[in-house]
Amino acid sequence: MIEDAIALARVHAPLLAVAAPIAGAALCIVTLNARFGWIIGVFASLISAAIATDLAARALVFGAPLRTAAEGVALVPDRLGAFAAGVVSVAALLAAIGAGARASASRDGALTIVLVLLSAAGWLAAAYTTNALVLMLGTEIAWLAGVGVVALGGEGKRTPLNAAARMLSVGAVGVAFSMVGLALIADATGTLSLSMLAENLSFDSQPFSVGFALVLGGVALKAGVAPFHLWVGAAFTRANAATLLAVGCVSAAGALLAIVRVVSYGVVAPEFGAAVFWALAPLGVACVVIGSVQAIGARDLRRLIAYALTAQMGGVMLCVSLGSPAGFAAGLIQITAIVGAGLALFGAATVSESYKVNDIDGLARRAPFSSAAFTFGAASLIGAPMTIGFLGRWRLVEAGVGVDWWWPVGAMTLASLAAVFYGGQLIERVYFRRAQEVQARSGDRWRYASFPALAAGVIVIALGLAPQALLAAADAAAMVAP
Amino acid sequence: MTAELALLGVVLGPLAQALLTVILARPPGMRDVVFVSLSLFTAACAWRLLQAAAAGEAARIALVQPLPNVDLALAVEPFAALTAAVIAVCSVLHALHTVGLMRVTREPAPVRLMVFIALCVGAVMAVAFSANLFTLFVANQALTLAAFPLVAHRGDAESAAAGRLFLATLLAASVGLFLPAMVWTYAIVGALDFQTGGVLAGRVDALTANALLVMFVVGLATTALPPLHRWLPAAAIAPPPALTTVQALAVVPAGGIGVFKVAAFVFGPALHEAAFATRSLIAVAGVGMCGAALIALSRQDMRERLAYSCIAQSLAVLLAVLLALPVGLFAGALQLTATIFASATLSMVVGSVAAVTTRQSAGDYTGLGRVMPWSLAAFALACASMIGMPPFSGAWAKLWLITGAASAGLTWAAALVGLAAILTFAHLGPLAANALAARAPPDPFHRPDGASIALVAPVVLSAAATLWLLIAADPLAAFLAPVWTPQP
Repeated sequence: MIEDAIALARVHAPLLAVAAPIAGAALCIVTLNARFGWIIGVFASLISAAIATDLAARALVFGAPLRTAAEGVALVPDRLGAFAAGVVSVAALLAAIGAGARASASRDGALTIVLVLLSAAGWLAAAYTTNALVLMLGTEIAWLAGVGVVALGGEGKRTPLNAAARMLSVGAVGVAFSMVGLALIADATGTLSLSMLAENLSFDSQPFSVGFALVLGGVALKAGVAPFHLWVGAAFTRANAATLLAVGCVSAAGALLAIVRVVSYGVVAPEFGAAVFWALAPLGVACVVIGSVQAIGARDLRRLIAYALTAQMGGVMLCVSLGSPAGFAAGLIQITAIVGAGLALFGAATVSESYKVNDIDGLARRAPFSSAAFTFGAASLIGAPMTIGFLGRWRLVEAGVGVDWWWPVGAMTLASLAAVFYGGQLIERVYFRRAQEVQARSGDRWRYASFPALAAGVIVIALGLAPQALLAAADAAAMVAP
Repeated sequence: MTAELALLGVVLGPLAQALLTVILARPPGMRDVVFVSLSLFTAACAWRLLQAAAAGEAARIALVQPLPNVDLALAVEPFAALTAAVIAVCSVLHALHTVGLMRVTREPAPVRLMVFIALCVGAVMAVAFSANLFTLFVANQALTLAAFPLVAHRGDAESAAAGRLFLATLLAASVGLFLPAMVWTYAIVGALDFQTGGVLAGRVDALTANALLVMFVVGLATTALPPLHRWLPAAAIAPPPALTTVQALAVVPAGGIGVFKVAAFVFGPALHEAAFATRSLIAVAGVGMCGAALIALSRQDMRERLAYSCIAQSLAVLLAVLLALPVGLFAGALQLTATIFASATLSMVVGSVAAVTTRQSAGDYTGLGRVMPWSLAAFALACASMIGMPPFSGAWAKLWLITGAASAGLTWAAALVGLAAILTFAHLGPLAANALAARAPPDPFHRPDGASIALVAPVVLSAAATLWLLIAADPLAAFLAPVWTPQP
């Protein structure tokens, strides 16, 4: 009977993975108790992650065919989507644990957990669909939930509210871009099914190209890809754990994975591949440069981490602009690296209550767990060997060299050099500086909240040491592309 | 003990040394016994590997495989076994000297110093026995990170700045140049394993070979090739035991080992394809040698003088291996081993003198040989080896280096080596002579009991080792031959 239930669940895996956090959110609203809501949220996220990773593992690592029930027009997963959902769901689980552990003690805790869950559900829906409109819908739900998380982060203070207002404005522009883009795509191809774009593309691809660029721009804006990251600084300056983990990590991963998926369908049309390249490659370089410069100049720890992740996003854009399976696979690994490093760093910053860069001076003595998470995350950002960050860069450079294309090599080298500066600075401060008297009082707090940071740190290292399964999954997922 | 076990022991021994030094930090006597004993264990493992290489035993261990066809692996080959044995023997002497120095100076954080010294030795062993470029890269990064706390050990603003310069230079060069070169090689060959005769031989055009060579060599900034050499004089701020580790035992030797491996096992005959780059790099190294030796002459602080002298010796290794000839590789191996002993002796003596007499300026060394005869006699022998005076080790190395440069048709490079030797004589020769021959200073000792046996014995033994090539040069040529002779 259990086997039958599992088989049934596997057939409806996408629906269940999306429904679990929504159901969890509904239960949280009913109870409106932050602590109870946190337990529900973690449980719902756990179910969602278990289903999504099971689907991803079966399809990508063990090579099982992707046979799931098509739930209406919306949830029809492909292999890239399965990978994306796996990453997003695990990130959402860790974010729910970390964000909820802090939120459970705050006034609007239950509502925060609800929004974190809804955000995860939105990104999962976007991952499991091959319909461009549903993808946009999922993205928008997730984005608005993220805005809500940011707004609640200040517990009545103005700064997070202003940040949320800015996100709302920027997001409105983004969604306008996306909707106009979708209209142009629908006009050019007669369909919004991503899998049918290439075959329906007429000779006159200009409206399609413009539409595609607008859609990508709209999603890039939500990911926080520079120079469209106008909301990033404001959102993370006084952010709480929920904002950092749910918006800074889960949303970023969801949006980046959405970009990879959209592009992978778009480049099927040969005449369109070059246009994608010329759109994304300069964007990637700009993102690397702007993010790196901002990270180097940042004095606020959360901003530094956010900008560092933005610089890494440039690497994803470069990977994707290659338009080849190797490029997409490299992009997927790079996104996994970003999520891992983000969860470890943001988690550690939250747990150790470090807000300014010099707050982490001498942290190793008073908060060993947070320090370990900082070290793992920063090492991955730098691209140190034996971390997943190294793996991501290696695959990108390898993919670039493979096609005699030296842009990404140069840009990623630049990103690595900048990361040596700001990532090395974090490690140096943690281990080789003395804490000031005021800082010396703070240490590892919030036992449950420290779990996601440490777990992400361990994942970053474990995947760097034994990456075979991840590489196989990324390669299999990337084969969707030509 | 099997060769595989010894291979593991030579890398894990120093790690265990670091761990046990922390665990058994008190009482200090126990800590010191553990520290010295485990360096002996590492030396025993290295000795076993030397025997294994002499017997032609093949040993390889793969720790993890983070990329397809690329594993983190250690392998025994003659050059690695030779350099590891030399470093391990020197490490034992240095461990003894460190223990003596800690007691004399009452170092406030001896455990931290000892732990990172041990970690550096472990990392340089991994560099020596690296089986592929990836392992070399990882081990070099680990070495840089382990050496950083040594450079910044004092904790003041000056040390912190030196530490940052050290870290930034070595990591940036490694990540910015060595890593892309490694990935490029992987894209060409599909693997990164070292191979006698060079993995790139016959697989690269001239442009690629030139670019790759420059990226590899400059990326290994531990060679102190100008303009990426400033970290070494800056690191002179480190306390004496740390300085010995950086200059003589770990960081600088790792640069020599790295370029040797790249030249012999990655390029091999492909160095001829990169003729422009080799000539250019030889010119930079040759001019750098002379420049460093000249700057050393202007430095009164002994630690800085030794740092520049060390740059000159390190660049000689680079110049030798870039000659693209077996004789060049042989000269490089000799130069590296000779430099390790001589440089270790010099920096240990400078540490002893500073600890016992508080003298750190070259001018204050006058007549010190009268009151510290053993230490300053060792100092003089090491200076002679650094200069290249027969019959000391450095002489054979320089002889082969000049012969190699002339054989390659680079008489100007041979002339630069000769000029650098003269300049080295200028900054070390009179200093050693004055120290031994001049009248004793009236108030030599800061500490009335002078240098202890733990400070004297290691430097004397280390200085005596500078004579070893006198009897070992010929057998070494046969021992190292497999490095440049591809096996059928």
